[in-house]
Amino acid sequence: MADKSADKDKSKVHKLSLKGSAKLVTEFFQYSIHTILFQRGVYPAEDFTTVKKYGLNMLVSSDDQVKAYIKKIMSQLDKWMQHSKISKLVIVITDKDTGEHIERWQFDVQIFNTKKSKSKSNPADENAISTSASKAATTETPKTEAEIQAEIAALFRQITASVTFLPQLQGDCTFNVLVYADADSDVPVEWGDSDAKEIVNGERVQLRGFSTSSHRVETLVSYRLGE
Amino acid sequence: MASAAVSTPLKSHAGLFSSRTAGGRMPLTPSPRQRQATAPVSQNLDSSPFTPERKSADISRPSSKSVYGGNLSSHFAKASSRSSHRDSPKSNIARGVCTPRKALELGVSDFTLVGTGNTKSSSSKKTSLRQKTSKTTVTYGADRFIPNRSNSSAISNAGSGKLDVTDKQRAKTSNTEGSAVLSSATDDAIAALEGLNINDEEGATYSRPSPNTIAYQDSLANACGVNLNTRILQFKPAPPESSKPIDLRQQYNRPLKSANTSSAQFRRRVATAPERVLDAPGLIDDYYLNLLDWSSGNQVAIGLERNVYVWSADEGSVSCLLETSPDTYVSSVKWSGDGAYVGVGLGTGEVQIWDVAEGQKVRSMFGHDTRVGVMGWNKHLLSTGARSGLVYNHDVRIAEHKVAELVSHTSEVCGLEWRSDGAQLATGGNDNLVSIWDARSLAVPKFTKTNHKAAVKALAWCPWNANLLATGGGSYDRHIHFWNTTSGARVNSIDTGSQVTSLRWSTAYKEIVSSSGFPDNSLSIWSYPTLVRNVEIPAHESRVLHSCLSPDGQMLATAAADESLKFWKVFEKKAGSAAGVGASGSSGKAEMAKQMTIR
Repeated sequence: MADKSADKDKSKVHKLSLKGSAKLVTEFFQYSIHTILFQRGVYPAEDFTTVKKYGLNMLVSSDDQVKAYIKKIMSQLDKWMQHSKISKLVIVITDKDTGEHIERWQFDVQIFNTKKSKSKSNPADENAISTSASKAATTETPKTEAEIQAEIAALFRQITASVTFLPQLQGDCTFNVLVYADADSDVPVEWGDSDAKEIVNGERVQLRGFSTSSHRVETLVSYRLGE
Repeated sequence: MASAAVSTPLKSHAGLFSSRTAGGRMPLTPSPRQRQATAPVSQNLDSSPFTPERKSADISRPSSKSVYGGNLSSHFAKASSRSSHRDSPKSNIARGVCTPRKALELGVSDFTLVGTGNTKSSSSKKTSLRQKTSKTTVTYGADRFIPNRSNSSAISNAGSGKLDVTDKQRAKTSNTEGSAVLSSATDDAIAALEGLNINDEEGATYSRPSPNTIAYQDSLANACGVNLNTRILQFKPAPPESSKPIDLRQQYNRPLKSANTSSAQFRRRVATAPERVLDAPGLIDDYYLNLLDWSSGNQVAIGLERNVYVWSADEGSVSCLLETSPDTYVSSVKWSGDGAYVGVGLGTGEVQIWDVAEGQKVRSMFGHDTRVGVMGWNKHLLSTGARSGLVYNHDVRIAEHKVAELVSHTSEVCGLEWRSDGAQLATGGNDNLVSIWDARSLAVPKFTKTNHKAAVKALAWCPWNANLLATGGGSYDRHIHFWNTTSGARVNSIDTGSQVTSLRWSTAYKEIVSSSGFPDNSLSIWSYPTLVRNVEIPAHESRVLHSCLSPDGQMLATAAADESLKFWKVFEKKAGSAAGVGASGSSGKAEMAKQMTIR
């Protein structure tokens, strides 16, 4: 939902930084999907192996099918990110038996311009009003790679810690990946329109976010209240 | 409600509502700061993040939105009621009365009046003036707030959107609205809104449609979960199944190291080099045959084209037991339970029984028209499976040897295994079926399992759990399935990644070894029931065709299409327990060459 003019502008001026940043964000998504699948026990713990990433031991599924599945999602996501088509990535955990959505991890992506705040640019969405305003101040000095990594690491720590307050998942669970994309995006056949898969009467918790030179990612988890 | 909070002592009500709206909905975040900035009246700030909405003249919309949060149905109801009543102030009042908020508010009527004013452009100063006069009794902030009303709701939406997911879906719609809003709101809050910088042109264009229209579209889109400018896309393929149910409690108590590395410390060491390699020239490369068997008397019989050789593991000596007539070949060999006789199936369908000590044929049994690819002994009963799909039971003691005909498979039978107590028989065929038979009633199989997607040759009964049967499928299937043969339920599965040519349970460990054909040509040892692959041994250069365990259960012999016979000490007993029992008795081993040719 980044508005068009800003988008084009960026593609001229910040093509490189946008590309690198998109890659970084996509990579973050990949690890977050793996982390959530592990932390929430969607797949057995034995399926996961540790890899060093963001200065943490990240758990990544070693199951070929799961890996291939996530890889497929990521390759498409990468394309969309490069063209700034994505505003949200959502991971929904669903009860296999009842089909009820019990947990929903939402990553909001905002794309902004690092050039001194363009007064004419509409914020990517309403949420961006506050953040882009604050961003304008904070991004005066661009973040170093290490700072970004540290922010991501902090976010992953928080995701990991969130299992302490999230309710225990009962029964067999499966997951789905949703993407909020611009209406004019190219959509491959594997992707189809969906509802938002909201949690009915869910509890919401905002987690940390991180930002790169051209993206800001906010994390929100909503979950079904324990009975 | 908000305006009530702002301009009248009813603040407390707002507080009440706000606490409800906020209750549990946004526990961790402070309200976004721009929301505070826009709110001209500071007393609202702590009362509710949604307060600006309450200023809206369009009473029911924002109020119900904030009160009911993400409740879509309430949005629906509201949307429809608004569409029908929009233009009538009276119905507005009536509607307003219906809202629960009204019941609580004292300043109700004033707001309904304000609401009627709202049908006109809310950004018009005149309108606001008029409204102000109409409700002089009520509020003083009114003229100030009216311009903000319909629009400020959008502002607050914008701010709250982060927390309210339903709001979020509106994305662009409310964004445009928000910008219109903001442009009008800037007068009030320029200083606070520095960072917002609205495009005035855009604001102007967007402000043209009546606020109600916008609001209507907004809430309609909202209610339907539809956004005009974004699409919610789902990755449609179903995610892979979890291999087993998960108890998270175990996971949280796991050691810091990952399962693989931690278990590696405790994992049994398995020798990955063969103990011995023998040449087996002329071994027919045919998945459907069973040409290798190890007797309880520690002798290995192997069928090589037209010959059967017997290799004594104790002495290391080789003898040729028989040679068939030139028009046929050996298609299966199987030792009787006592290790004294070997059954030999031939390509013609003939089954011979040989006394190994004497080196003489005891008898021939005819019946099958097609080659006998697999056999199994149960005391005096010899079961033979043929290419026709038929399985015959022969009582080898009597002249009329055929005592039962087991009809289930429609294609070549290549796997056949009696349970050790002789109560059940498992057969597998090229029709991808696994049939489990009750020895007492052989007319129909007790269970027929269709889960495999390729021929089933590998069958193994668990030595410590009589109800457990492992079956492995061919190259298109690649799975090992575990069955409870009493209930017929599948209890576990492994995707091995390659053709499963044989399965053998360890007698000493809770493990099972599988041999693979294309593409791995390896041996894999799996612990059961965790199904973790303990070790994978790259065993042969081409596919492993047959395997058998030594009578002491320590050694595995494998014959492969590379015409070699290899011995692997995969289930070596722990140090301290009696060594050198049977199998490759240590005496014979020392004298034997590392390599020798059988013929």
